Amino acid sequence: MSEVVPIDVPSASTAVASTPVLEARALFKRYGDVEAVAGLDLRVGPSEIYCLLGPNGAGKTTTIHLFLGFLEPTGGSVHVSGLDVAAEPLESKRRLAYIPEQVMLYRNLSGLENLEYFAALGGRGSLAAERLTDILVGAGLPRAAVQRRVSEYSKGMRQKVGIAIAIAKEADALLLDEPTSGLDPQASNEFSELLGRLRDRGVAVLMATHDLFRAKETGTRVGIMRHGRLATEMSTDEIGHADLERVYLEHMHG
Amino acid sequence: MLLRTVLRNERRLLAADPALRIALVVFAALFVYALANGMVWDRFQARTVEAARSGNAERVRGLAQELTDIANGAQPSSPFRDPRAPIVLGGARGAHTAVLEPGPLAALAVGQSDLLPYYYDVSIYTNESSFQQNGEVENPLNLMVGRFDLAFVTVYLLPLLVLALSFNVLSEEREQGTLALTLSQPVSARGVVGAKLAFRALLVVGLAAGVSLLGILATGGFTEAGRVLLWCAAVSLYALFWFALAAWVNSLRRSSAWNATVLVGAWLVLVVVLPAAINIAAGLLHPLPSRVEMITAQREASNDAVNRRSELLARYLEDHPEMASGVVPDEPGMAALTWAATDAVNGRLEEVTAVHDARRAEQLALIRRYRFLTPALLAQGVLVDAAGTGDARFAHFQSQVRDFAERWRQFFVPAILADERMTAAVLPGVPSFRFVDEQPADVARRAAVPLLVLGGLVVLVSVGAGVALGRVRGAA
Repeated sequence: MSEVVPIDVPSASTAVASTPVLEARALFKRYGDVEAVAGLDLRVGPSEIYCLLGPNGAGKTTTIHLFLGFLEPTGGSVHVSGLDVAAEPLESKRRLAYIPEQVMLYRNLSGLENLEYFAALGGRGSLAAERLTDILVGAGLPRAAVQRRVSEYSKGMRQKVGIAIAIAKEADALLLDEPTSGLDPQASNEFSELLGRLRDRGVAVLMATHDLFRAKETGTRVGIMRHGRLATEMSTDEIGHADLERVYLEHMHG
Repeated sequence: MLLRTVLRNERRLLAADPALRIALVVFAALFVYALANGMVWDRFQARTVEAARSGNAERVRGLAQELTDIANGAQPSSPFRDPRAPIVLGGARGAHTAVLEPGPLAALAVGQSDLLPYYYDVSIYTNESSFQQNGEVENPLNLMVGRFDLAFVTVYLLPLLVLALSFNVLSEEREQGTLALTLSQPVSARGVVGAKLAFRALLVVGLAAGVSLLGILATGGFTEAGRVLLWCAAVSLYALFWFALAAWVNSLRRSSAWNATVLVGAWLVLVVVLPAAINIAAGLLHPLPSRVEMITAQREASNDAVNRRSELLARYLEDHPEMASGVVPDEPGMAALTWAATDAVNGRLEEVTAVHDARRAEQLALIRRYRFLTPALLAQGVLVDAAGTGDARFAHFQSQVRDFAERWRQFFVPAILADERMTAAVLPGVPSFRFVDEQPADVARRAAVPLLVLGGLVVLVSVGAGVALGRVRGAA
């Protein structure tokens, strides 16, 4: 296992294409005395699936919220396709798709109606119902469920609508916060396949997760966060499952 | 684009939510019931006015017939009822009923028209006490809840519909988790909340204005476009005020339960408590002299004058001892004497009622000043005024009746003093009353300040809500 080469943060940037889709520069977010994000530098290029690992409270979700403009950084900056999120919040959100841990939708509307609404908010109001249905089916939702109310959906089905919303948006980057938590293995697998397809289209994916196995299987790179900064970063090609777990634990206790 | 997207989604959400649908149907039914209620009162009043008018014509016809008969040799039924005597013709027998026609939009707001007299029998005996109203200053709250008309539903219940539709316009999105997905789209919380409220405002104002216009159409009030506009403006601004308040409370990012509590509290204070408190304050700061005292004083004044009349009569009889055995009213001088006594009574009554009226005016002035404390009173004032059932149009009517009573006296009193005999030929020349309605510009002028204040409040609260909503970035 000596071939495992944890890459230090500064050198990591050199591994990414010169124009990153998602970029955090010396990013800070402080809540009172707590430094949730403390000098994070992160770059995710096109066709990359970057998995952010780390314990609860490491700052993964805060990082994603900073990219979405849900939070204002207390220092540094975040950029989406070169746009400063603080300066152009709406334009940068136009280039981002987001799938939260729990995809919550309008329960009284059908999956199709939810997709139609969110796609229109995202600037894709021109998509016809047939096209939207295809996207839902493509995301793994059974065709028969498309017109049913979301209140009858399982968590996995709602997650698929969330993916469909992200696909329909044709965004440059996809942000995911624990997307597979609570999904059964088959659903998780389908989810990983979908991510693969998005990556093939050139989408940059940033995914916060606790699932080391899936990070290794799906991701192209992993970064381990601790105390609000990247402890280490590595390419998944260069690492085995067992190694990832060892490195993770080393960093947690180190 | 955002507006259209949100409007379509809101329409779907509404269609899929039975509770909201039921609330809307219930309110629509209340609106229609209130309108029907107002129309019933309006029709009743119109019938009374018509009856009074035909009563006038009937009376004149009867008197003309009687005067012609007497001229042809018939005997009057009684010397006290002889229409040839100007004191009889100008008195109760010939009294003319002056009527106030129902306001142009009376079916929408009964207002004070069921409290204030809308007709007076005018004769030479009409005096200040004839104009005394039976009630004390009416609690503005009572005026609002007095009758279940459209004005009541608008001022009192419409805010509840607005609040039911919008108390959780943002908090619900957060609580059900949809806000995260929404705000990850290139839209602002302010834009989304604004569009959602715009949909609800269209619904509520459309319902309120729609039923109002229906009522106006049914009662033919469209001739008064200015009043219709004022009515619609007051309804819209008042509803918008409550929407703005709901937006502002939502912008504070508390739970739906908290929002509901605060907004219902605001409704209670602004619609129920403050109007009642203002009325209590008016009563405490400018207490009316007791009505019992006033009535006693009126009676004393009246008795005093009657006693003086006896004195005058006694003196008259001393001068004319030959009449002591059989005094008849149509004797020369007697009518003039009676009139002199009546006039003396009137003079005393005016003094007594003036004190009462002054206090009442002070109370009204205070209420008029403090109505600016709550949008409910501002809106109610404009609605009733636009409908033509408020105290302004009534005061306009009363002052015309006063003038008319004066014209009536000027016609008859010289004849009484000159002991003239009346014939059927004078009847066409007897003054008659025709109410001249207010100028639309006067109504608009009165409504301008309350409407501007109401509009200002809407802008102020909306801007506050907009600024606070501008700070909502995430779903937390």
